[in-house]
Amino acid sequence: MHLVAMAAGFALILLGLYGALTHRNILRMIVGFTLANTGVHVVLVSVGYMPGRAAPILDGAVPVGEAAARIIDPVPQALVLTAIVIGLGITALMLAYAYRLFRARGSLDIADYTELKW
Amino acid sequence: MVSAIFIIAAGLGAGFLIGLLREEQKGAAFAVALAALGFMAWVSVSWFIALASGTAQAHDIITAGTQPPFAINLRMGLAEAGLLSVITLTGLASLIYMAPALHALGRRAFAVLVILVMALSGLVLTRDIFNLFVFFELIVIATGGLVLLSDDKRAVAAGFKYLVVSQIVGILLLIGIIFTYHAGGSLNIDDIAAQPMAFTGAGLALFLLLIALIVELKPFPANGWALDIYESAHPGFSALFSAASATAALYAADKLFAAAGPDWLPLATVLGLVSFLGANLLGLAQRNDRRLLGYSSIGQIGLVLVVVGQRDILGDAYLYVAGGILFTHAVAKAGLYWISGLVPGRDLADWAVLRANPVLLFAFAAFIAMLLGLPPFAGFYAKWDLAHALTGADRLPVLGLVLLGALIEAGYLFRWFGFALKRPNPVAFPGFSTTGFAVVLVALAGGWGLGFAWGAGSVHGNLLLAAPLIFALAFLLLEPLPAWAKNILAIAGLLGWVALRAPEYDPLHLVFALVMLAGGAVILLASFTAKGERLGFYPSAMVMYAGLALLIDAQTSFQFFAAWELLTIGSYFLILRGRESEPHALSYILFSLGGAFAILAGFALASGGLQPFALENLAAIAEAGLPVAPWVFVLLALGFLTKTASVGFHIWLPGAHAEAETDVSPMVSGILLKAGLFGLWILLMHMGAQRLWGVDLTYLLVWIGALSAFLGAVLAIFQEDAKRLLAYSSISQMGYALFGLALMNHLGWLLALMFVINHYVYKSMLFLAVGGVYHRTGTKLMYKMGGLITLMPFTFVSVLVGIIAMSGVPPLSGFGGRWVFYNAIMSSEMRLPVVLIFMSGPIAFLYLFRLIHTIFLGQPKDEHRKLREAPFWLLVPQMIFVAFLIGFAVLPGMVLRKVDAYIGGHFGDEALAWSGRTITSQFGYWNPVAIMLVIGAIFVIVLALLLMMNRNAQKVKQFNIVFSAERPFKPQTTHFAWNFFAPYRKALGFLEAPHVTRFWGGITDSLHATADFTRRIYTGNGQTYAAQVLVFVVAVYLVVLGGVS
Repeated sequence: MHLVAMAAGFALILLGLYGALTHRNILRMIVGFTLANTGVHVVLVSVGYMPGRAAPILDGAVPVGEAAARIIDPVPQALVLTAIVIGLGITALMLAYAYRLFRARGSLDIADYTELKW
Repeated sequence: MVSAIFIIAAGLGAGFLIGLLREEQKGAAFAVALAALGFMAWVSVSWFIALASGTAQAHDIITAGTQPPFAINLRMGLAEAGLLSVITLTGLASLIYMAPALHALGRRAFAVLVILVMALSGLVLTRDIFNLFVFFELIVIATGGLVLLSDDKRAVAAGFKYLVVSQIVGILLLIGIIFTYHAGGSLNIDDIAAQPMAFTGAGLALFLLLIALIVELKPFPANGWALDIYESAHPGFSALFSAASATAALYAADKLFAAAGPDWLPLATVLGLVSFLGANLLGLAQRNDRRLLGYSSIGQIGLVLVVVGQRDILGDAYLYVAGGILFTHAVAKAGLYWISGLVPGRDLADWAVLRANPVLLFAFAAFIAMLLGLPPFAGFYAKWDLAHALTGADRLPVLGLVLLGALIEAGYLFRWFGFALKRPNPVAFPGFSTTGFAVVLVALAGGWGLGFAWGAGSVHGNLLLAAPLIFALAFLLLEPLPAWAKNILAIAGLLGWVALRAPEYDPLHLVFALVMLAGGAVILLASFTAKGERLGFYPSAMVMYAGLALLIDAQTSFQFFAAWELLTIGSYFLILRGRESEPHALSYILFSLGGAFAILAGFALASGGLQPFALENLAAIAEAGLPVAPWVFVLLALGFLTKTASVGFHIWLPGAHAEAETDVSPMVSGILLKAGLFGLWILLMHMGAQRLWGVDLTYLLVWIGALSAFLGAVLAIFQEDAKRLLAYSSISQMGYALFGLALMNHLGWLLALMFVINHYVYKSMLFLAVGGVYHRTGTKLMYKMGGLITLMPFTFVSVLVGIIAMSGVPPLSGFGGRWVFYNAIMSSEMRLPVVLIFMSGPIAFLYLFRLIHTIFLGQPKDEHRKLREAPFWLLVPQMIFVAFLIGFAVLPGMVLRKVDAYIGGHFGDEALAWSGRTITSQFGYWNPVAIMLVIGAIFVIVLALLLMMNRNAQKVKQFNIVFSAERPFKPQTTHFAWNFFAPYRKALGFLEAPHVTRFWGGITDSLHATADFTRRIYTGNGQTYAAQVLVFVVAVYLVVLGGVS
């Protein structure tokens, strides 16, 4: 199961990168990166998953003493939360940039912004 | 000590505090940011001082009350403290520098800047890889915000491209992090086990981590996005981006390379080298100042990455070397970006406005010297140690490529400095902001401070404490004084130093000291002609003389090399002062630095990486017959031959010497060329004859000397420009000296020494004389002159005496040189070079005759009728030289006898017998006094006869045609001067074809063409850049795997 998730995650990453590199529209590029980021998050979570174990919530069902043997690894889940938040920040910044670019030139085509080169 | 965690806390706190302010409270926002950054800088610097002085220990900061890896820990060590100091101080300076732009953007901009510096500090401090990712993303966001500060509308697109690439880096980083965690069960860097470079999951994870951090270092060629930022962002931000961001990212990479184990270091080395060479090569084609600085930044970071790759061999010196390069780069690059903010235009030549402010111009020169690792800056010590470590570990290709990259970088940086100093100023200088200026000064002081600190930490001693250099640098502070006052001080300093040191020198060193330093003082007499302050002349000249003084004193290879570079830099700035000398000064510095790098490699090879290396140990290497010995010989000889302008490396000399100022030409010709001879002397004295592939290398040197002597003379006879003629003649004369040295026998060395003295005297004299003529006529072209004998009689006398001495006819000292010369070649076995060098004698006579004939004889030109004699102070040294030449002709024994005995001690023979005033060799004897008397008697008789016969002669004016067959149409036509040796040109013209110039020109042209072609990979399209990054990552991975399997 977790391998399927991981494969799906990597597929999403490749799909997202492919989209970001082939679509010239800036908004579509941003969507592509968001997709790739989601893929990364799925991969992250799938790495922490262990078959047959419980969620890492220490309550009556999982006593502290047995926790190490019975729960899945909680660290990737903690990481993925942070990663999602950061990804949101970056996406927001990219959208803000897209807005400014469009306001400046009236175009969202990445190929229109090549004055800086060489 | 305040815990380092407060650096993070202060940054975050200030960021939030500014967010709570009202929009119009910009002043308060600035104050909060200033206080926060000031506090962060204070904590960092106090830690650095404490750790460096040993009063504090490196320690880990545990967060959340839990030990790592269950919580994040931060580490404060010496490296971290140093890096944090650089980052926070750059942040503080940039805040002050950018304050107006930040004000315009609103209070949040202040918060973003503080957060950026905080995140960079966090990147340095943290020991947790996920935390690394968090700080990295914070940097991305803050950078994205600050790029918008720029007035340049294109910056928005640049920022977007940066975000696109950052997304890819973020993805790589996260995947690398999670799988590294999966493999090791920990996110702590210290728990990452060293991995072999192999096709395993853990290996791939580590690779992804490392490559993500490397991409963040903008490696060539996946770095178009960074260049766009550098070009378009606010210069205050670019300074931060280059000095702080790159520094922090580099340290992050370093932490992971340290954890990954030695297997991965070649990755850093190779990628670093590719970046260093690629970026510097492409920099050649740049015309935009900020983009050029971007290329240079990328190159320098690549260089530090190379150092990271050598951490296995550098051992304890690792921090010293890496820090020396990294910190110097940070300071210099920040300083240059800050200056670029003061310059209104973006073309390189627009930096000519800096001429309005000599302090900024000096700062520009100092920053360039820092970037190139020239003494006395920190990078110099680092470069020296790096070279020795590389040769010690037998990584010679790495050393070669590093030096090549540095040479290319020197090419575009010095070219740029030439633009600033020489190009017409396109715009009126609008005045600069005082804060901007002050910030540049802070960077300048920082660079010098680093130089002092690194010198203090060097085992070789601190260059900034060497008395001659202190004396030379003191002239920077004395610049407001009038030139004559500085001149007196300079002369007194030179003479005082010689008097102080002379008792300790052996005769050989004494001759060189007298020629270079006391001789320099005599030439400086001519500098009394200068009016005003003569800004820049004295610091440059005195740095050159300091280099010469230190060169003579040098005991170890380090001292020798440091002195060599100092005299090279000083003379470059001196040559660059000439009106038309921009391209010539550039080719001079490039040949000289290329030669210096050969010397560096030679010394490093000789020492086998062990320091300090005494110069005498060269003899031990030669005696032991080590296989490196001939290579050491070749490298050192190459370096010295560039300085003596031997044929093949000579193309810089004519322009550099001819276009220099009147009193500079004799300095760089009469004195500076001797530095090369001095080096060769040291080399030959210690290493003797070496054989490479069965060829005796001294035999090769004999040929080079003979060819230089011959071709230099041939080229000299075809010059129309008097100073160029003298310059080519120097090539020829140095060829003689090289020939004599390479003969490797007693008389040959004596011959070389005669040339050291004689060439200094008559070449200085002739350059001053011709300089005086140029001063009055305004031209150096000989065919535009004529008949100056009556107008400038003293100058005529000095040229006459000069050419008599130089052509080697009796009675003057040149004859002594010839006499030793003939004795030397008669005892030599080599026929062909001897013939060649013998022929150069008569050819020399041709150009010397031309010099006196076309300038002083014949008919004066109309516009020259009212010329006056050359300025008094130009004549003074000439007359001293005239007196010396005559004295030296009569009494050569006073110098030569001691040197003869000294050389005899080296060869263990006695080639000359000295009795009374007569010198006897196996072929005959030479009595200078008798010769002088005979010639004097003949002269008096002939003069008396002439006077008697001319008693009835009638004086006529120039256009009195009574006594001539035809009426002269123009006075010019009565004086045949242009293309004077046309018949010889027909016969020998093929020798004049500029093959060597074409060869070197071809190299530089193809480098430029490659640069111009290659930089088109940076299409400007953000998607292309992103694709390049991905292709780069995949390609590196495939190569890595290919290297493993």
